[in-house]
Amino acid sequence: MTDIIQADGLTKVYRGKVKAVDHISFHVAEGEIFGFLGPNGAGKTTTIKMLNTLASITEGRATVAGHDVAKDPGAVRKSIGVVPQELTADDELSGTENMMLMARLHQVKGATAKARISTLLRLVDLDEAAGRKVKTYSGGMRRRLQLIMGLLHEPKVLFLDEPTLGLDVQTRSKMWHYIKGLNKERGLTVFMTTHYLDEADSLCDRIAIIDHGTIKVSGTPAELKEAHGGDIITLTLTDDKEDLTGFLSAIDGVKAVTRDGKVYRIKLPKTEKALPAIVAGVVQKEAEIEEITFSKPTLDQVFLDVVGRSMRDEGAAGSDSGWENIKMERAR
Amino acid sequence: MIDETLALTFRALRKWVRNPASIVPGLFTAIFYLLLFGSSFNPANLIPSGSGQGSSVLQTVFGGAPTYITYLAPAVICIILVFNMAFGGIDLVLDRQLGYLNSLLTAPVPRAAIYLSGVAQNLVKVLILGMLTFVVALLIPNGLKLPGSFGVVNFVGIFLAFILLGLGLSFIFTALALTVRSIDSLVAIVNFLTLPVMFMSNAFFPISSFPSWLRAIANVNPVTKANEAARLLVINGSLSSSQAATYGWDMAYLLVFAVLLGVLGSLAARRALRPE
Repeated sequence: MTDIIQADGLTKVYRGKVKAVDHISFHVAEGEIFGFLGPNGAGKTTTIKMLNTLASITEGRATVAGHDVAKDPGAVRKSIGVVPQELTADDELSGTENMMLMARLHQVKGATAKARISTLLRLVDLDEAAGRKVKTYSGGMRRRLQLIMGLLHEPKVLFLDEPTLGLDVQTRSKMWHYIKGLNKERGLTVFMTTHYLDEADSLCDRIAIIDHGTIKVSGTPAELKEAHGGDIITLTLTDDKEDLTGFLSAIDGVKAVTRDGKVYRIKLPKTEKALPAIVAGVVQKEAEIEEITFSKPTLDQVFLDVVGRSMRDEGAAGSDSGWENIKMERAR
Repeated sequence: MIDETLALTFRALRKWVRNPASIVPGLFTAIFYLLLFGSSFNPANLIPSGSGQGSSVLQTVFGGAPTYITYLAPAVICIILVFNMAFGGIDLVLDRQLGYLNSLLTAPVPRAAIYLSGVAQNLVKVLILGMLTFVVALLIPNGLKLPGSFGVVNFVGIFLAFILLGLGLSFIFTALALTVRSIDSLVAIVNFLTLPVMFMSNAFFPISSFPSWLRAIANVNPVTKANEAARLLVINGSLSSSQAATYGWDMAYLLVFAVLLGVLGSLAARRALRPE
């Protein structure tokens, strides 16, 4: 697989003093869904803006679809689709009219435009609502329209900035379904930011976490969870007569054990490998198991470990600006 | 580039037409100005009634206008042009704030098309309002009275003056709207600009009655030139050779004004649309 996005020492300094992005390097392979995560003000938006030709690059270099972003912004614009966080479809125009306008702006004309518009509208189940003015659409429908408005010129890379911001759980998973479909069926490379870590986990092939303008970690969700989270087994015994902490810690594959009375929390990279030994050990010690549960790690844990604070805390405050935009859009 | 310019212009105009709230206030202002200024500023009011001198004041000082509103109507159209042009920029600021502009900037749309569509949409909007104002002035009682020799050519001549004035204003106000980041700052600048432009002109009273410093300013104000040109046609219908010469010079002045602001506006717009 070739890299469709390459960033090399990418740096953005605003007004000569505010370093929003500090020498970051990463690559996105063709056909990948790449998640770009980080708290607010971490540099996510600035990075996207540089790759989208909206912000100039202070230092470093980036190529998108083989074109140098700084030297050939026109070629980059032709090969990218951008779905902004804001809802930019015109309220007063219908879904189809919005699509027609975007087609014209991308030099997609005549029968080709009509065919693509109807295919895309069907793809996100908007074909029935296409004739209605966008102001009658629900939040989820607007997001879906926004998604396909960036696809009329059949871009090689799709940039999604918070594609499910402000949507309820059901509508979100529907969006995921559409995004995955585009990725699988069309081989579309997706570069996305999101505040929802479960979203990144279920959608993204690889993710990078950025904080204070630098990339802290990157890899597949599974890799990151294994490196930063690991599984947790919670073992509850019927009594707390004997302290098994030392014994459990010595079992092969166990990373750490903490005890709270008769409850033991065992951290380990992979439950499946050590569970038999743990159970066998407990039985051998003639202790009785009241309950045993285990949890797979989540990206939340990884995020907490890497950034030092939870995405959720940030997320609540962070979605504000997005909401403002949605409200403003409605008011228009 | 032309295709994108047209596409964006029609998008804006379609939104404008579908939202009556965007036309009605402009038209209301026009009616208000015509009625209010038309009666309260009317110089005939200063003359004691029954003396029969009201019409002679209009004759001598106001270029032979049959009614004060006839004198005033071109000026009100100019004011409507200036104000609505200035505030038309709000739509463009909103486009930036709501992310629409960014979605154009990340698309392979020529930057010039973004600017020119802004210029075109503002120009078309104010010209339509201007024409409606003209019609309103004709309809109101004791309003705009056209001379017998007034024809289609005069009408075209009047609106040519307004088009040139509007074009120059649109060039600069569109660039301004693309440059500012908030509606507040746009409104502040617009308020600062429009009042002097409106009152330091021949809009309400003849320049000959001004003190010399004000006359100097009013004489270079493009609103004065557009007004003078339009007024000549509205009051006289067919022009004498000296009046035609004045009209010609006014138009030449407005053309230079439009070209100059076109260059200035293009440079400013290019700066405003550069990557941040």
